[in-house]
Amino acid sequence: MTDAKTTPPSTNATPILELRDATTVFGHGADATVANDRVSLVIPESPPSLVSIVGESGSGKTTAARTLLGLQQPTGGQALWRGQDIYKLDGKGRTAFRRDVQAVFQDPYGIFNPFYKVDRVFDIIMKRFGIGSGKADRRELIEEALRAVSLRPHDVLGRYPHQLSGGERQRVMLARAWMIKPRVIIADEAISMLDVAVRAIVMNILLDFREQLGISTIFITHDLSAAHYLGGDMLVMRRGKVVERGEVDQILQRPTHAYTRLLLESIPSPDPDSRWATSADDLARLEQDAGVAAT
Amino acid sequence: MAFINTWRQSGQFRFGVIVLSLLILMGVFHQLLIRLHIGDTDPRQIGAFGILESPSWAHPFGTDPYGRDWLAMNLLGLPSSLLVAGIAGLISTVIGAVVGFVSGYKGGKTDASLRTMTDMLLVIPTLPLILTLGAYARGLSVLELALVLAAFSWPFAARVIRSQVLSLRERPYVELSKISDLKDRQIIFQDILPNMMPYLGIGLATSSVGAAFALVGLTIIGLAPSGVLDLGTLLSLALEWGALSLQQWTLFFAPMTLLILLFLGAAFISQGLEQVYNPRLRGQQ
Amino acid sequence: MATHTPTEATGSGVIPVSDPARREPVLTIEDLDVHFPANDGSVARVVDRLRLTVNRNEIIGIAGESGSGKTTLVEAILGISRFPNRRLNGRVLFETRTRGQVDLATISARQMRRLRLEEIAYIPQGSMNSLNPVLRVGDQIADGMIDHGVPAGQARGRVPELLERVGLEARVARLFPHELSGGMKQRVIIAIAIAMSPSLIVADEPTTALDVNVQRRILETLARLRDEMQVAIMLVSHDMAVHAQLVDRVGIMYAGQIVETGEVREAVKRPMHPYTAGLMQAIPSIDRPRARMEGIRGATPSPRNWPEGCRFHDRCPRAMPVCRTIPPLLAEPVAGRREGVTGPVDVIAGRQVACHLYPESTPPEARSDGSGRPAATTEAAR
Repeated sequence: MTDAKTTPPSTNATPILELRDATTVFGHGADATVANDRVSLVIPESPPSLVSIVGESGSGKTTAARTLLGLQQPTGGQALWRGQDIYKLDGKGRTAFRRDVQAVFQDPYGIFNPFYKVDRVFDIIMKRFGIGSGKADRRELIEEALRAVSLRPHDVLGRYPHQLSGGERQRVMLARAWMIKPRVIIADEAISMLDVAVRAIVMNILLDFREQLGISTIFITHDLSAAHYLGGDMLVMRRGKVVERGEVDQILQRPTHAYTRLLLESIPSPDPDSRWATSADDLARLEQDAGVAAT
Repeated sequence: MAFINTWRQSGQFRFGVIVLSLLILMGVFHQLLIRLHIGDTDPRQIGAFGILESPSWAHPFGTDPYGRDWLAMNLLGLPSSLLVAGIAGLISTVIGAVVGFVSGYKGGKTDASLRTMTDMLLVIPTLPLILTLGAYARGLSVLELALVLAAFSWPFAARVIRSQVLSLRERPYVELSKISDLKDRQIIFQDILPNMMPYLGIGLATSSVGAAFALVGLTIIGLAPSGVLDLGTLLSLALEWGALSLQQWTLFFAPMTLLILLFLGAAFISQGLEQVYNPRLRGQQ
Repeated sequence: MATHTPTEATGSGVIPVSDPARREPVLTIEDLDVHFPANDGSVARVVDRLRLTVNRNEIIGIAGESGSGKTTLVEAILGISRFPNRRLNGRVLFETRTRGQVDLATISARQMRRLRLEEIAYIPQGSMNSLNPVLRVGDQIADGMIDHGVPAGQARGRVPELLERVGLEARVARLFPHELSGGMKQRVIIAIAIAMSPSLIVADEPTTALDVNVQRRILETLARLRDEMQVAIMLVSHDMAVHAQLVDRVGIMYAGQIVETGEVREAVKRPMHPYTAGLMQAIPSIDRPRARMEGIRGATPSPRNWPEGCRFHDRCPRAMPVCRTIPPLLAEPVAGRREGVTGPVDVIAGRQVACHLYPESTPPEARSDGSGRPAATTEAAR
């Protein structure tokens, strides 16, 4: 395994976020499922990095994301924030960690409590993280955050979540992240439930965040082409293990693991002139190499 | 907010609320209504009117074999039934909610032990137990009776609420609140509880009606506290007199109708709530 | 990209394209409306004046985003009504094998039940999770046939052949659904669908929940069935890449209408409707060099309140004044227009588009001069 860019450039700088052989097992005994098997990942202090974690459903990529977010304690190994174990933080440390590491989740519908207006999302973080002072200042900040993700404040504020489209809701989540200005945003399948037409908009916002605010992105996706669009580094996960890691472009050009090759062969291209070209036999051989059942 | 929402969306809910409100108003103002109806005569006074009179303008439900106005008797019995239903329903819902919430949100060992407890209570055959209790403690007041009934119906509420909390706990918005650094307490009260309201409403309606009917059952088999006059007492009296064979069907009909209305009101409220809040039913409106 | 070998002509990849010359219509949808009146007096016009033809021996892709009405269209074809207050208008003409043409919009529920499976098979979204967990797969395949009058013995006898058709071993018949992977379950569903040799299979997002390598295998199976059984397949998917890889013709749905149809290669490589163009531009592809994509601004409008005129006009980068008032018609554009060549006027075979950029789409009475061309569209011919 090549660990090209995912290790920090200088060893004495503590990384912001790190998984060290994180292992998560659900269930016991015969029913045990290994969701994550010695997964390691480093997000350095600087420069802002972009790492895609690519895998199919059940590959463990979401477990890795939840572990990094402090939502799923690993059963083995460590999840570290600035060198400290995320799961042993005290109240103050936890708040500081949450300010540093934020998320955009998959389901733009379920992420809003249907009981409250959209504004609550902002009210909570301003209260919890002490952002803004006074009503007018806070209102100003909210509007600024919404404009940063190309939303018009009066289209969004004072409304209930079901009155917004999926793309708008996901952008509200990005505005929320913009307001917190964390060091890392973990985007867990953040575009998979959105319409094609707005996926690019969400990905572009993440790219802008990195460029303009220096926010690192961990982009969890099942879609290789989305990882390609974002660029940066990539981890390919399968059955809880990282099977390949490196720069996206390098992996796409010279995949070393059979599973990565199989993914590349199977991904449908929007160009009908490059219809799937591998013969059935080659594909079957690849499936065998990758250890994938031939259905 | 949830109320107005449901009111607007569900005709069943509207119907239930109107029926139940009317019954409660009748219960609260029963003395006034009785006075309007028969003046200063004591409704319980034996021989105040003719015996077994057929329905008329003066006595819409006729009179009973002791010459009492049956409408006035029903107005007199309604409050006890409502009170038992309300108190027992409320108590069992509150206990059920607390147990269900703690069990569902905490999980782990707390959940396991609370669940064992509720399951044990659930498998106790309630009817024989209440029968025994009723036979030994005939001097119970309405309130005590309600407490006894509540003690046996909260495990049902706890179960339903626990499973709801379990599913709400996994909602993405709870995750969002967690990474927004909200405390458990805040998540329970701000994220989970408001979304539980309709289910608490359903639980309240169901256990209230359950209690009212349990009381009717007890009175009919003659095990209710002797001092209490409720709709069940009236119903059992009508049965005792053979009201139907006497062709005095209103004696039977009056308390029965009130009980059915009570049941319908509660059932329609809980169905309306489910219609609006159960996502699986939502598409079928 | 090493993984995809570009081919010169259509049809030389692993998934071939069907021969256009052998196509004849099996399903013709004429001005179909599927409306849902609400209590407050508003009407959700989820499918509205939709026109579409499906031919024998072809896979037609229906592409559209959420809220475009594609599932409602499918349910109207299949005579499924989840909401009692549905109002159907227009005609859905289906060529039956024995009784000539029938209008699926007006036939009785009983007739529809007979047609289903026998002549039209439906693979609903997520149906692979609706297999009966306590019945063996083979029995579930046979049951459908028995329901339609095939003797039980004969039905069971056909199971192994059907399984083989969809790429499963005969022994799978003895398994229970929980013993199958997602891809195998989807194959079983397809086996049930083809059991009565229907002439039309309607599949709604058949591969959405599957892993990409499984998706590819399932799509290849569908293409093989089209060739072996001469069946028409209507494939509904939000994924343009799936359409590009599999289908012969594609219909792009937007706001309850088909806004563009054509051979998939043409439609995808040279989209005529600005919505199609925006959609294609917004799809990341590992075959393309990394370049900033813009997406389509705005959101799909609500079926209760479609915009006046062209329903895409408020999101369209090329909107003209006429777009705000006059709804464009789905019409065959003229070849010279698209190529920028003047000369003999030729309609582009099989290509239809509903956009005022192409004068044929503007209703004659709305064209501003006698020539039949709206004045505003002259620059639009590129």
